[in-house]
Amino acid sequence: MKSREQEYREIFMAEALEYYDAMSRHISELEKNPADAPALNELFRLMHNLKANARAMGYADIGEVAHRMETIFGLIRDKEKTFSGSMVPVLFTGVDKIGEMIRAVGESRELPSVATLVNNLDLLVKGEEPVLGEEEEVDADEDANRKLELSDLVYIQIKKLDHLLNLVGELIIDRDRILTLSQEIGSPALQTAATHLFRIADELQYSVMDARLVNVGSLFNKFPRVVRDVATAEQKDVELTISGEDIQIDRNILQIITDALLHLVRNAIGHGIETPEDRVKAGKPAQGKLALSAQTERDDVLIQVTDDGKGIDVESVRRKAVERGLVSAEAAGLLDPGAVRAFLFEPGFSMAKEVTEISGRGVGLDVVKLAIDSLGGQLRVESVLGQGTTFTLVLPTSIAVKGALLFELEESSYAIPLMHTDLVVALWPDDLHVVGGMLLAHVFGDNIPVVPLRALLHGSEDGPLPAANKEDITGRQNIIIVNYNNRRLGLIVDRFLRQQDIVIKPMSKPLDMIDLFGGVTLLGNGQVCLVLDVPALTRLFLAKRP
Amino acid sequence: MAENELTGSEKKAVKQEVLIQLIVFRLGSEEYGIRIEQVKEVTVTPEVARMPKTPAFVKGIANLRGDIIAVIDLEERFGLRRAGGALPELSFTMAVEANDYTIGIIVREVPQPLSVPVSAIDKAPEFIQDMNIHDKYIEGIARVEGRIIIVLDMLKLLTPTEIMQLQPKAASSPRAARRKA
Repeated sequence: MKSREQEYREIFMAEALEYYDAMSRHISELEKNPADAPALNELFRLMHNLKANARAMGYADIGEVAHRMETIFGLIRDKEKTFSGSMVPVLFTGVDKIGEMIRAVGESRELPSVATLVNNLDLLVKGEEPVLGEEEEVDADEDANRKLELSDLVYIQIKKLDHLLNLVGELIIDRDRILTLSQEIGSPALQTAATHLFRIADELQYSVMDARLVNVGSLFNKFPRVVRDVATAEQKDVELTISGEDIQIDRNILQIITDALLHLVRNAIGHGIETPEDRVKAGKPAQGKLALSAQTERDDVLIQVTDDGKGIDVESVRRKAVERGLVSAEAAGLLDPGAVRAFLFEPGFSMAKEVTEISGRGVGLDVVKLAIDSLGGQLRVESVLGQGTTFTLVLPTSIAVKGALLFELEESSYAIPLMHTDLVVALWPDDLHVVGGMLLAHVFGDNIPVVPLRALLHGSEDGPLPAANKEDITGRQNIIIVNYNNRRLGLIVDRFLRQQDIVIKPMSKPLDMIDLFGGVTLLGNGQVCLVLDVPALTRLFLAKRP
Repeated sequence: MAENELTGSEKKAVKQEVLIQLIVFRLGSEEYGIRIEQVKEVTVTPEVARMPKTPAFVKGIANLRGDIIAVIDLEERFGLRRAGGALPELSFTMAVEANDYTIGIIVREVPQPLSVPVSAIDKAPEFIQDMNIHDKYIEGIARVEGRIIIVLDMLKLLTPTEIMQLQPKAASSPRAARRKA
């Protein structure tokens, strides 16, 4: 695998060469028509971009030349100078030198000296006559041995990569099918071929996934400006720190979370961080701190938005949840702070203006939650009153493949994404207790409601679930404990099958109207397997609990 | 489109007869037809996985050459099941193209193609239209050599709300999850 630095350099090269080509074209246009405004604007822009890129990569000489050329094109554009006389050969030499330097970077050679050129450009800026040397006069010779080169990078529409990924998804399904068939048929030659196909398809899949990865930085780097603007508008003083920019993630995932992240950052500045006066009063430094960070954790990417503002007042959220009828007063009193904060993500919860003012949070957090849910990710919030709040987005690196737990219920196979699965337990009836018509299991110090999945999926359409009865439960119960928005729920299933990476296909119309299923996947034996959507399942349980 | 053809047949002025191609299948004791261009393919019913939270006549989902489609039983949908007439072990599935998706319809016997002159299709009388359904999905009744074939307009029959009878959505939607205060 290439080093990150080398990858950056290749990207720089590709862009720089593209700039160079465009510069050569535009300066020729300018020679024909010295007042060509679009060409001037382009040249100015190209020089500016090249300067920025070159300086970021540490190629000071390229930056110096581009900076001076930018200044001169700026002067011509503003009609303070004209593209004529001795300026023309110097600028042409400048563009040629830039090309030469870029090629030198590409070949890891030493960059040519630019002292004369820089001196001449400085003279031009001051309005003095440049010293024309040999360089400026032997244009013709140089043309003869100029090389034409094509970029090493290809720009590709994300749409094409999406298509490629879909095809790979199909291929993986067929691959598993072929592997299963080859084992059934038992022909050694076929098995060898199938194993080989398995490996190739695997590699192909990872290559396509790799091609879709971009740096989180490509999104993070847009935030300094956002933070500045929002902070100014809100009259807050905020310092933004960014870390983990080079963590890589699927481009579409980054696209989907863009709005969510924007939302969280705006919220943090608008409602989290206090005004400088309030901060000083609270004994904090006047300048608020906001941090955007990314890190990898196993196969997931964690993105965090942390502020050192006033935090979330758990008690007022608790009161509000009771007022809005989301939970009974007695039950609310027992909830731990984490469970209370989870109410912030309830749809509609944020609609109430008072909540926003009291708790300081909640504007459209359900929208953020939905975006993360759609990716099969998790959204978590931690907060210490008076000290700040951290939102954590747990995201898959890639959208193609998801780890899932396969199980059987009434002779059908189902899959449940591992992202939402906490643990799998087998419990005897003695381990289960009936409380308020609901089964409760005590697992690792936590009381978890348990429901037969059969009752949720096949139960009657209307009305609550029938009250749980200990007598109905005999023998060992296989229970999958799922976790959504800090709520744990145990699902009794018939049989655990195995853990497997699956490719989820979206549910086709008109069945997509049933939101209990996030999609379908095809198993190696050709069987269709429904993928349960844990958020929808949890909501169904909450709506129907006895 | 259907309207034009029907007025055309009423005038009976057309000498050169226009033929339309139907795929004819049996539901209950009657014969039904669908325009051939609405039928994508006919195949032996593949393995169908049951899908919870769907009306009984939705038999489940099946894998048809990599496409996951819903498979429905129109006999059950129309209440045409003869006593004790469960589906046979070997049945056939017509993949029918609705507006923007494909759906499978289970039939007992292999569906047959049939060419019918447009003039042989009469408009269905109002009263036989199912009262519960707003869109009129019976395009007409074809009389061919003593047979009576009910011609269905699949595009009208297979709207998503029509198929799902709009019932399952509410149960698990976030709105329903909020308990009544």
